[in-house]
Amino acid sequence: MPNSIRGRLALLVLASITLVWTIALGWSYLLATREVAEWDSARLVQLAQFIVLLDQNDLSILSKARIDARTEYSRHPTRATAADGDETPREALFQVLDANGRLLASSAHLASLGASESLAGATPGARIVTFGGRPWQIYVLQDNASGRTVRVLESTNSRSDLTTGVARRIAKPIALALPVLALLVWISIGHSLAPLKALSRAIRTRDASKLESIEIGPTPVEVRPLVDAINQLLSRLRLSITRERAFTADAAHELKTPLAAIKVQAQVALVTQDSAQQQLAMQRVVQGVDRSAHLAEQLLLLARLDEHHTIPAQPVALVALAQDAIAANEPGAQRKGVSVALVGEAHSEVIAEPVLMDILLDNLIDNAIKYGNAGGRVEVAIRRNAHAVMLTVGDNGPGVAPEDMQRLTDRFFRVTGTGANGSGLGLSIVARIAEYFGARLDFGTGISGQGLAVHVSFPLPAVASEHRRISDAQRLV
Amino acid sequence: MRILLVEDDDLIGSGVEAGLHHAGFAVDWAQDGHQAKLALETTDYALVVLDLGLPRVSGTDLLKWLRGCGKDVPVLVLTAKGTVADKVGGLDAGADDYLGKPFDLTELIARCRALLRRSQGRSVEILRYRALAVDPAAQTVLRDDVHVPLTAREWAVLLQLLTHQGIPQSRARLEESLYGWHEEVESNAIEVHISNLRKKLGADLIKTVRGIGYVVERA
Repeated sequence: MPNSIRGRLALLVLASITLVWTIALGWSYLLATREVAEWDSARLVQLAQFIVLLDQNDLSILSKARIDARTEYSRHPTRATAADGDETPREALFQVLDANGRLLASSAHLASLGASESLAGATPGARIVTFGGRPWQIYVLQDNASGRTVRVLESTNSRSDLTTGVARRIAKPIALALPVLALLVWISIGHSLAPLKALSRAIRTRDASKLESIEIGPTPVEVRPLVDAINQLLSRLRLSITRERAFTADAAHELKTPLAAIKVQAQVALVTQDSAQQQLAMQRVVQGVDRSAHLAEQLLLLARLDEHHTIPAQPVALVALAQDAIAANEPGAQRKGVSVALVGEAHSEVIAEPVLMDILLDNLIDNAIKYGNAGGRVEVAIRRNAHAVMLTVGDNGPGVAPEDMQRLTDRFFRVTGTGANGSGLGLSIVARIAEYFGARLDFGTGISGQGLAVHVSFPLPAVASEHRRISDAQRLV
Repeated sequence: MRILLVEDDDLIGSGVEAGLHHAGFAVDWAQDGHQAKLALETTDYALVVLDLGLPRVSGTDLLKWLRGCGKDVPVLVLTAKGTVADKVGGLDAGADDYLGKPFDLTELIARCRALLRRSQGRSVEILRYRALAVDPAAQTVLRDDVHVPLTAREWAVLLQLLTHQGIPQSRARLEESLYGWHEEVESNAIEVHISNLRKKLGADLIKTVRGIGYVVERA
């Protein structure tokens, strides 16, 4: 099968037509052959009926003459034809017996063939008899009035072209029509596939940066869904590229700020003669480098998170991870005089991935310390109910204005006037990780009615609770 | 020369402040739009260096407000968005010059000087006054082609007086041009600086206007 719709369709259509034609032709040939055979028999019957009426005198004349029983007379007598054909003289032989079985007359040629034995027992009717190495068509007529028996024979025409000739005459135009038909089928299929060609041309000549919908004019119903699907894909691509571009622009813009700071501070260090100020400027250069490194790290993390659709999850002991994250953020907390407390259920497990959960906890705790008040409190709480394990990280800092709550997970969004140098990506990362594990992210009020609290609710699927029961049991043992 | 720096980023702000200070300017550093508004309402600045991406009141809004008040102080805008549309927007809102981040500190200072020069109606950097040739960029003074060493404060007082020829400058005004927000104002300092300048550059250069302050006569 050719790997093209046009080739395949043309082949199938032409093969079907040829098959139907061949069957029709074969059937007609069979019917025509039978008809000709019947016609041949009828001729012998007529001949026998004619001979039975002849008197002795006529019979003796007839036995000396030859009866030409050919079925066709050529319009071109000069043309050489096969010895055994419809157009060559074919002798019909006869025998007439009286009521006592005495031979009255016989074709001269018949005696030489030595057929007497084969004919002796022939009963009235038509049949085929073989003698002298050839099959013969024979008809025996018993005339009741005269008591005569007439036997008429004719060599069967094994190579009759009466039917084959008719068949050839029918087949010839059909065979000639086949290439014409093939050409027409080929052209019309190609014409019907034109919209597909137009579509592929529209896609091929398209600039990679152009993502507008494809319009190729009126399209047949079979092609429309394809065009629609491509257009839908294009519009999704357009959206995602716009988002990517905005993100890249934002990222470049965000990276410029720490770079500007590094440059300015380095230049201050270069021009100043005051060694204390030089020291300070160099320290700030280091701070600027740390800041850009942190930003780059967060950007890479987000990019890596975006690469995956799903991440294999496993049961993770949330409390142990929270303890680690609190310990990791201890230096920052101490610098700001912030106390970080952990409250919660010791046996809470969630279905997640430990490294990502570590990043999530670290971002939440770091944010709470960074944006909370100096000397304030941060509380990491882990609670469990029938449906979920809820992780809450709250502080008693200035909190977030209600109008800013919606934008907290936007990339590069920072609450203004906080004085903290965040990348603006922390909560975007948290939201992305929460999404992986089917967790819900909500914001609320922090400790004792002030500050911000971030709630992450991890669902408890049946598998998770089953697993937890087993591990609880193991602990009890 | 007193400059208002409006910049929310700690590291950039402190760097620009140190750089401008080193170039002989008194610098006030406002970290948001509200602070900047307050400062502009209460103090006359020779120049404003303004970051457009500010919290609370955006830099563009501040600029529009400033021009709306009829203040024609030269403004140099800093921004991380380097697009043409952004530059045009900043200039149309009333900025006099534009620098994209990350910028070069020396270029920032040179542009500040150029803006100041233009606002004082000069086209060349070197100020000439009688036998004096004053170069604000190199912070040098030549008297009859002989280099006269000056302290940073004496230098600042001289520049303030020379750029306001014929307009008496009060002691408070001179102090303003000398000290930024974080610097302690020394009492009697202005008198000391004036007397030192007279000793170094000639007694008749700076006139005392009784009850008002000091002036350098028009050349």
